[in-house]
Amino acid sequence: MSVLYVALPLAILLGAAALLACIRCIRSGQYDDLETPAVRMLIDDKKTESPQ
Amino acid sequence: MTSSQTIVADRLAHATSELSPAVTPNTPAGVTLPCTHCGLPTHCEAGTHPEQVFCCAGCLGAYQLIHGWGLEDFYALRDQMKLTGAAQAAGRANRYEQFDQADFLGPSKPVALNDGTCRAEFAIHGLHCGACAWLIENAAAREPGLLSARVKMSDHTIGIVFDPAEIRLSQVARLLDRLGYGLAPIDPQRDDQVQQENRRLLIQIAIAGFFAANAMWIAIALYAGDYSGVEAEHRYFLGLIGTALGVAAVAGPGRTFFVGALASLRTWTPHMDLPVALGLSVGTLVGSANAIAGRGHVYFDSLATLVFFLLIGRWIQFRQQQRAARAVDLMLRITPRHASLVVAETDQAVESEKIVLVDTLQLGDIIRVAAGEHVPADGQVVQGRSNIDRSLLTGESQPMPVCSGDAVAAGTINLTSPIDVQVTATGRESRIGRVMQSVEAAATEKTPIVQLADRIGGVFVVAVTLLALVTFAYWSQVSLATATAHATALLIVACPCALALATPLAIAVGLGRAAKRNILIRDGQALQQLSGRGVMWFDKTGTLTEGRQRVSTLQGSIEGLRLAAGVEASCRHPVAQAIVLDARRRGLTLPISARLDRVANSGVVGEAEQQTIFVGNRQHLEQHGIVIEAELHRRLEQLAANGESPILIAVGGVVITLLGLSDPLRCGALEMVAELGRRGWSMGILSGDHPQIVSGVAQQLGLAPERCFGGLSPEEKLAAIRESRHVRQTVAMVGDGANDAAALAAADVGIALRGGAEVSLQAAPVFIASGQLSSLVTLLRGAKATTRLVLLNFALSLGYNLVAVGLAMAGWISPLIAALLMPLSSVSVLALTLAWRSFEETAASQSQASGALGERV
Repeated sequence: MSVLYVALPLAILLGAAALLACIRCIRSGQYDDLETPAVRMLIDDKKTESPQ
Repeated sequence: MTSSQTIVADRLAHATSELSPAVTPNTPAGVTLPCTHCGLPTHCEAGTHPEQVFCCAGCLGAYQLIHGWGLEDFYALRDQMKLTGAAQAAGRANRYEQFDQADFLGPSKPVALNDGTCRAEFAIHGLHCGACAWLIENAAAREPGLLSARVKMSDHTIGIVFDPAEIRLSQVARLLDRLGYGLAPIDPQRDDQVQQENRRLLIQIAIAGFFAANAMWIAIALYAGDYSGVEAEHRYFLGLIGTALGVAAVAGPGRTFFVGALASLRTWTPHMDLPVALGLSVGTLVGSANAIAGRGHVYFDSLATLVFFLLIGRWIQFRQQQRAARAVDLMLRITPRHASLVVAETDQAVESEKIVLVDTLQLGDIIRVAAGEHVPADGQVVQGRSNIDRSLLTGESQPMPVCSGDAVAAGTINLTSPIDVQVTATGRESRIGRVMQSVEAAATEKTPIVQLADRIGGVFVVAVTLLALVTFAYWSQVSLATATAHATALLIVACPCALALATPLAIAVGLGRAAKRNILIRDGQALQQLSGRGVMWFDKTGTLTEGRQRVSTLQGSIEGLRLAAGVEASCRHPVAQAIVLDARRRGLTLPISARLDRVANSGVVGEAEQQTIFVGNRQHLEQHGIVIEAELHRRLEQLAANGESPILIAVGGVVITLLGLSDPLRCGALEMVAELGRRGWSMGILSGDHPQIVSGVAQQLGLAPERCFGGLSPEEKLAAIRESRHVRQTVAMVGDGANDAAALAAADVGIALRGGAEVSLQAAPVFIASGQLSSLVTLLRGAKATTRLVLLNFALSLGYNLVAVGLAMAGWISPLIAALLMPLSSVSVLALTLAWRSFEETAASQSQASGALGERV
């Protein structure tokens, strides 16, 4: 069971890495608009042929 | 030439002025269908294809543009989103030249990218739902030179990337204008604070979530260890790590509760943060001491989860409030921000026009206001004559004629022809600015009602502390250690996490559901106040009535209407529009060779099919030497007595048609009044319009005439509201004019309906974006359901706390029971709130729209 002393801090470190990634996402503004992207992904694939 | 023969025959038939009584009284063979593009109820012939109904040329243009691009899916998508928002296509396409000037753009100035393209960000008006974003983005993809457009629904901005060699910004602005969306440079004072606050709250939630999740799995290991056996050394280690996580959660993201509690202590106002902070601190201290000592219960999992839940509740509340506030904010820009300044050249003979910001206008400057534009500042007309629509300020449904020397106010609309105005006041000094100031004053004079939860929170702290002392005193007879253990157990288990969640969550969910029904509520208190019964005052123009003139009576020859419509076709006056609309509705073919010769304040003179046509009121016709006989006088007076404005049409010098114009009731008004009456609300009308017209409307609606007042100034409306507040009842005001703003703010609950002036939104905590009167009933029902939910949540969480406190005082609280009770109470409050049905569709609104997106919240 002494593996606990390694596994537990390791698990928390992994979690902390995910937390840092999440904070980075929030800071970069990915969570500012929670409405438009949802609609955009629903419909975009129907008509993608754009003239440009 | 059969038509001219008919005219001659008609004229002969009516030469003696014997008008045949009411050919077609109110509605001819016609139906009311929603406009295909904007959804505005439009009168049209029976049998018209429902997809070919357009209320105006702007909507038709937008429809054709969308079809031309093959983007018909927009309508399906929009209907699916269930919004009938009026995309108002304003006909000011030539006003976008200034988008190519850098000093106009300010912070929206395009930034050159490395590959030769430019990027710019703008505020965009008129967004309603995801369908709008989709339409704009797809339309942009079809425009050469416009590389990408990304709409942000949350803050109503659009970021575009374009090739300056191929397209200019003015062209982009014009394109969006054709679709019905207005582009504007980003306000320099646009506060990024809201965005910053949103991000800060999210980061706090993320951190609290991290601590809560990790504390949770350590707690599972500990509980499992209690049953299946665990080495004391490991148990100590797990407890220590878990406590570290719990303490970090309390000290990090949980700090905000201590700040709130301190503030409430300093001002001696009870607040929910106080008991939360007490529970958190006792739990942290005792838990840490136990963890270090290696005995007793450690409360870290409860602490971390509690902080996490409470922060989520806060964020939901913040978001809903911001959403409503932003919608209100966007609607506020009623006075234009740009004016066309007339600059006298050096030789005094030549004049040129320059577009400037309204803020830079000086007193005495001369500005030119084109027909169809809002007047940007208060002033005096120095040149030109026109008609002004002042319904925004005074609620008058009839336009006011102005000529040189008359005063005009900012925010009113110049209807017929361009005028030059000498500026006398701008911004806050203008009449509309002063109305806004009185709104602010009226808003601050209200005594803020302390939220029920906060009051209970205050009582709660005192009660729990007293009970803890009682417990301690009682158990100290046994031993001091037992007494300490039981008292702290009580303090922790009584932590009102469910209680703290109950109100904000129920109100936040209520606000969210209301928003899905197009009812934006800025302030949760409004729900509480609308749940009972009280007095509801209505504005008339634009609220109970459509606010647009419509031909309601036609006496005499229909041919007169046809010719008059031909003459008036190019005129923007509401009376002219009503005549043209009515002629179209009756399926008349307008004469091709019609000409508008002269526009006076009281009527017009024109020529159609080689005959002179006079359209106007009695004075107008008499001025042109047309005899109006006694019989006709009688009919005119009769119309006026019915609350209709009479308009005469003379062809070749003889009156052949008499029209009665009135402002019809909005659809749903009768049903709404009946439903409100059933719910025990007393109702009345406060209007600036003529008392005779008001009493006519009151009669149609079946309202008590002694509660319906006409001819009121904004100040008198305010006084009427204040007077009715003496009675201990909720006083609600429903309106949409700027003249209502002060009244809306002074009432306990101001409810702003769209469709009229949007200035009132700042004053009103409730904004019905659909503009439909049936939403009012939905609002009242939802308010009642939400208030009930709050009370039920209270009962539930208080019940839990009572049981827990009882158990703790009896000394029966084991760590397991504490661990079970604490999350269970929060979860049950959450579950109840989400399962509770509030803001259900009313039968009326169900029949109006078929889609149902709002079912999920």
